[in-house]
Amino acid sequence: MVPTISAQLDAILNLFERNVPHVQATAVVSTDGLVIASRLPKDTEEDRIGAMGAAILSISSRSGDELDRGEMVRVLVEGTNGYILIRSIGEFAILVALVEKEVRLGMLFYECKKCIEKLREIL
Amino acid sequence: MVDLKKVVLERDLNPYHSFFASFFAGLGELGMLNQGSINIVAKRAADYLYAYLDAKEILPDMDTVPGESKTEVIKNLILYINKILSLVGEYDLQDAGDDQVVLLIAGNTCRICPKGVGGAEVKGTLCPIPSLLESLINMITQKDMLELITAGIEKEGSTCKAYFKVLN
Repeated sequence: MVPTISAQLDAILNLFERNVPHVQATAVVSTDGLVIASRLPKDTEEDRIGAMGAAILSISSRSGDELDRGEMVRVLVEGTNGYILIRSIGEFAILVALVEKEVRLGMLFYECKKCIEKLREIL
Repeated sequence: MVDLKKVVLERDLNPYHSFFASFFAGLGELGMLNQGSINIVAKRAADYLYAYLDAKEILPDMDTVPGESKTEVIKNLILYINKILSLVGEYDLQDAGDDQVVLLIAGNTCRICPKGVGGAEVKGTLCPIPSLLESLINMITQKDMLELITAGIEKEGSTCKAYFKVLN
C-alpha cells in the first residue's frame, strides 16, 4: 500500500530530525501560512508557527528583491535559546525548523537542503 | 487594479469597508499577512467585537434567536452579525450533510475582501469572514457550536465557500 502524503511528509521530517542533532521541531507550511504537516511539541501553537513562518519568509523574500540581494536561499533567525530556520520548498510550501543553539550550522544547512529535495518530490 | 468606482457603488461600500480592505491588502502585499495569520487575527477581532456588542447591550438573547434546527439558528446569527458589520451583500448557509454547513458568499458582493475590494495582488486568499464567524458565533452561543473545516475560504468561480462542522 502506498503511504499517504501525510505519512510520507512525516517520515521525511522525522529523518531530518534524526540526522541533525538539536533539531527540536519541524513543520511543512503552505505559503498561505497553513500547516500541511508538522512534528511540533504538543504545547506549540501550530497555527501561529505556520502563519509566522510563512510571513517571515515572504517579507524576507520581498526585502531581498527590493534590496537587490538575489534569490533568497534561507532565513535564519538567531535567538539566545536557538534558531528558527525557514526555507522555501517550492512555489507553494515552506519548511520551518526550530533548532537548539548547540547545532552545527553546516550540518543543519546540508541536511536541510537534502530534506527540501525530498519534500519537493512529494509536494 | 480593481475598478474602484464600480466596486464602491456596486457593493455599496462605506468608508470603513474601503479602509479595512485596502489596509489589509497592503499588509498582504508586503508579505506580512497570509490566510494563516488572517485566521488568527480574525479570532482576536472576534473577542473585541463580542466585548463591543456586550458593552452596547446588543448581544442577541440566545433564548429568543429563532430557528428550529441548528443550521437555522446559525443562519440567524450570521444574519445578525452581517447586519451589524455589513460584511457581504448576498450569501447563503446550506446544510452539507455529516453535520456540516457551507457558507456561500457571492464574491462580487463582499465588502471587505482584501483582493476584490482592496486590490491585493497576492496569491491565495486573505479572507477573515469564516474565522471571524466561527469565533463570534461560539462566543455568542457560549459553547463550541461551530468549527471551521476549510483553512479559510475556497473560491469556486465567483462564489466563495467555507465549510463548518456543527458541533453542539
